[in-house]
Amino acid sequence: MILLQSPSRYLLQILSTRVQNLEKGVELDCQWIEFDDVRYHIQASTKNPNLLVLSVSLPTPPPETVFFGGLPPEAIEAIKAAYGTVVHILDPPKDGFNLTVKLNLSKLPPDEEHRQALLGKIASIREVVQGAPLRAVLKQLVSRTVKSDLNKLISLVHRPNESFFVVPQADKVTVVFPMRFKDSIDSILATSFLQEFVDARRTAGLGNAPHYLWSPSPPQELEGAPAEALLANAGFVSFVISPRHVQGRKLDKTVWSLSTFHAYVSYHVKCSEGFMHTRMRRRVESLIEALDRAKPDWKKVKRAVQTRSFKRLSINDGRATSNSRN
Amino acid sequence: MASLKTSEEDHHLYPGRVRPLIGVWRHRSLFPLSTDSKVTYIVISLDCPPPRILAAQLLKPHDRKTRFVNAKLFANTPVIVDLPVSLQAQLMANTSRLYLTCIRNTLEAAMCLQNFPCQEVERHNKPEVELKTSPELLLNSVLIYMNEAEKCLIESSINSLRISLKVKQADELENILTKKFLRFLSMRAEAFQVLRRKPVQGYDISFLITNSHCEEMQKQKLIDFIVQFMEDIDKEISELKLSVNTRGRLVATEFLKQFI
Repeated sequence: MILLQSPSRYLLQILSTRVQNLEKGVELDCQWIEFDDVRYHIQASTKNPNLLVLSVSLPTPPPETVFFGGLPPEAIEAIKAAYGTVVHILDPPKDGFNLTVKLNLSKLPPDEEHRQALLGKIASIREVVQGAPLRAVLKQLVSRTVKSDLNKLISLVHRPNESFFVVPQADKVTVVFPMRFKDSIDSILATSFLQEFVDARRTAGLGNAPHYLWSPSPPQELEGAPAEALLANAGFVSFVISPRHVQGRKLDKTVWSLSTFHAYVSYHVKCSEGFMHTRMRRRVESLIEALDRAKPDWKKVKRAVQTRSFKRLSINDGRATSNSRN
Repeated sequence: MASLKTSEEDHHLYPGRVRPLIGVWRHRSLFPLSTDSKVTYIVISLDCPPPRILAAQLLKPHDRKTRFVNAKLFANTPVIVDLPVSLQAQLMANTSRLYLTCIRNTLEAAMCLQNFPCQEVERHNKPEVELKTSPELLLNSVLIYMNEAEKCLIESSINSLRISLKVKQADELENILTKKFLRFLSMRAEAFQVLRRKPVQGYDISFLITNSHCEEMQKQKLIDFIVQFMEDIDKEISELKLSVNTRGRLVATEFLKQFI
């Protein structure tokens, strides 16, 4: 898996098993965390098997990001538009969560295909809620409506106490990510990954991809941003999104991949660290073997190990055992 | 020229033997001879055979541009070879081989260890090179030096030998890869027996070979192991770096493809 999928796999699995075994209606209470930032909690009781209560906790926003009633702007509208009657928002949300919704499985569409599609959509609730403000900005780009907040810096939360910035302009939207990593090794690996983006963007097939910039210092779009937002140990990444990147169905994909950009990079950094460890372990084995070769009885040791796996019995041994049995 | 340690005192390690010592410098500051950045200097310090002949062997006669510059500038009759760019890559490979050969020869000479009980405490037997309690048991150390980033210190005593390596780290990524890998190895020092848990200060990784190691292992094979170890570290780090870059490229391409 190279790209991150927008439906939360675990949530999707829970939902589809629930739908398939609706008559069993077991009690359910699960909590999990995705990408180290979004927390989910799902509950169901035996009394009413059709009802599920799903709570989502978004990362805590830094001071520069605005939340309305604990949610990103336009999130409520986005939920209503995406799910219709299946999802009912509970107000106030559960303690410690930003959003609690009640899922009514009896209102799912009857045919299999639509139902799976809607379940997938529910599983990608993160995209709907967290990506709502970004989607609103990008939609303006499609409809080319010139708004009053042109060239104004909008900050959107994507990690606990960290935000990325969006600058809407008349014919493009610039998205700037200050990339921060806790671990120094992570930050160096990520920096080398982010620099690879520059080269990858130049390759022949990717001429239409958004313009990509990486710089170790804050770009000029971030003028006026608070000082703590301008500290990043893996540099600053900016994507310039033009209308052709958000046309039609591409909008969902763009919103998802931009709002999880940090998670994407961090996931691959961790993967390559894991890969390194596998390699290093293999190398250690080969080196130990090289050292063992220095021991004079090395070949004897090896042969002894091989012969130990089976024991050749002589005829006398066989007789002895059969005699003892008698 | 303080960097090239070829003091006369080291010669007791090589009874009747010629010690080759070859280093490559890319530090132009050390050499006021030329400011041309395309020049690499090779300093060959040899008593015999005549350096000029050896350098000629090293560089192959077809290259006419090779110049032998003022040899008297440095002690121990070194020869400075002023190289054209075309030969540099070939020579870099060659020099790293020479570097390893040099280490191998030095180890061969230095690894003549014998059992020696501690002089201070009765019934103790400790590696003298670590404790350094009595100066008469220590031999002079040898520093084999490619450049500031890549060198090898061989310290020896009557019953033990310590080899410390500094591994080349060209950039930040290589630096962390080296650190990670060598830490990984040091943590498994128990399995390696001859590996020291902590490197000597100023170096990346150290070995400690005692007379008992020499008794239970074949000396020649042990030296082979050390040389292979050095080769493997270099190979592993360059492969790791390559894999990080390849992965980065793939990750970037896949991400950008989504927008098309």
